Amino acid sequence: MSGSSDSNAADVTPAVVARDLVKRYGPVTALSDVSLDIARGEVFGLLGPNGSGKTTFIRMLAGYLAPTRGQLLVCGLDVVRDALPARRRLGYVPEAAPLYGHMRVGEFLEFMGRLRGLAAADLGAAVERVVARLALGDVLRKSTRALSRGYRQRVAIAQALIHDPEIVVLDEPTNGLDPRQIIEVRELVRSLAGHHTVVMSSHILTEVGKTADRVAILLGGRLLGVRAVADTPDLEDWFLSLT
Amino acid sequence: MSALAVLLRKELHATFTSPIAYVLAAVFLLVLGYTFSLTLFATKTANLIYIFHQMYVLSILLVPVLMMRSFAEERRADTLELLLTAPVREVWIVLAKFLAGLALVYGMYAGALLYAVILGLYGEPDFGPIYSGYLALLLHGGLLVAIGLMTSSLTENQVVSAALSLGIALMLWFADSVAYLLPAPFDVVAVNLSLIGHFRPMVTGSVFVSDIGYFVTLAMLALFLTSRWLSER
Repeated sequence: MSGSSDSNAADVTPAVVARDLVKRYGPVTALSDVSLDIARGEVFGLLGPNGSGKTTFIRMLAGYLAPTRGQLLVCGLDVVRDALPARRRLGYVPEAAPLYGHMRVGEFLEFMGRLRGLAAADLGAAVERVVARLALGDVLRKSTRALSRGYRQRVAIAQALIHDPEIVVLDEPTNGLDPRQIIEVRELVRSLAGHHTVVMSSHILTEVGKTADRVAILLGGRLLGVRAVADTPDLEDWFLSLT
Repeated sequence: MSALAVLLRKELHATFTSPIAYVLAAVFLLVLGYTFSLTLFATKTANLIYIFHQMYVLSILLVPVLMMRSFAEERRADTLELLLTAPVREVWIVLAKFLAGLALVYGMYAGALLYAVILGLYGEPDFGPIYSGYLALLLHGGLLVAIGLMTSSLTENQVVSAALSLGIALMLWFADSVAYLLPAPFDVVAVNLSLIGHFRPMVTGSVFVSDIGYFVTLAMLALFLTSRWLSER
């Protein structure tokens, strides 16, 4: 599933391409003419206050919402026209880290693996891989209802990684976590870079600054700017100058 | 394993681990058992017409409650976002929920087969109307499950979903009662929309393709609309 399985030609295609992307809910414009490219293997942060359009962009990328206008490509695949192949390239963690309450952690991961098209022969190894990576061994047989917020988030990330997707999309991944859990998620996201492209949203400036390679600032549904974190000595100043 | 099989397995697991399902099934069978005993002793006739009509009414009351969770709960718990961003078509998600709902409702109906067995053992019933009555119930249950699924896909509030579903079923039930007020050809349309009008002939042993077509067409329409509404986002 990962980028390594693609041809060289496909590998030079950006992981995500958005062109003049618009999303309207009736009279309300949630996202307005957003154009950006996200390179393969980078951690890309979407930064902005609540209601800035981050989640709308993330949901369109994940295939949950359809753009009103414009084009959104995932590894060269249109998220509307080639919806199913595009979704196969993605692993998505919604903001609420939703899990099925009637399942145990192991069952949930197996279900999500099967749903994402993993063959029965590969399923066991895939579950073992994500359980080891997210340190879920202790809760594997626990009901998902009994998990702490930190473990819920880890399981939600594990389901997104189960099919080894090229792109991992995280909506506010550190929301509601305690400081230690935030550090763990941050380290995990950094460890995904290179093998996976990570697109994450956050309204916490320091979070994005410490995790992302590049940052896009959204406000009122408009893209105000995109910059490499390494080229931006003071992210806060840049953010304030734009907003 | 195909996407439908994966989804169906999950839905069956969710359906049959819910206490609501068992409570409602118990209520259904208790009320039926009471009615069966009462009508058998009172009428001393070996038929299930009363039971079928009772099951018709109980289904209209209980199936909306059984189905109200299907999409509404997924929406409330945000798990719908997981399902709809997975590489599976919406139609498989809808079908899996429909089949799991059918399994539950038909399971309840299967409990009522006992009454036919009792009649067969201790009387000499005409099995034609019993077979056609069960066919009517299967079609009726399928339609109610499809309507319940459709209303559940519209809201995250389970009570609203059940109320909408009940409302649609009641409107269909009584559709012919307003026919005499309507000008032609709407009076004919109202009569032909009637749920009971298509149920009653089968219960009394008359099976018409038009009655079967009514249930199948409306159920397919409800499933189609559910799938469309899930796709429109």
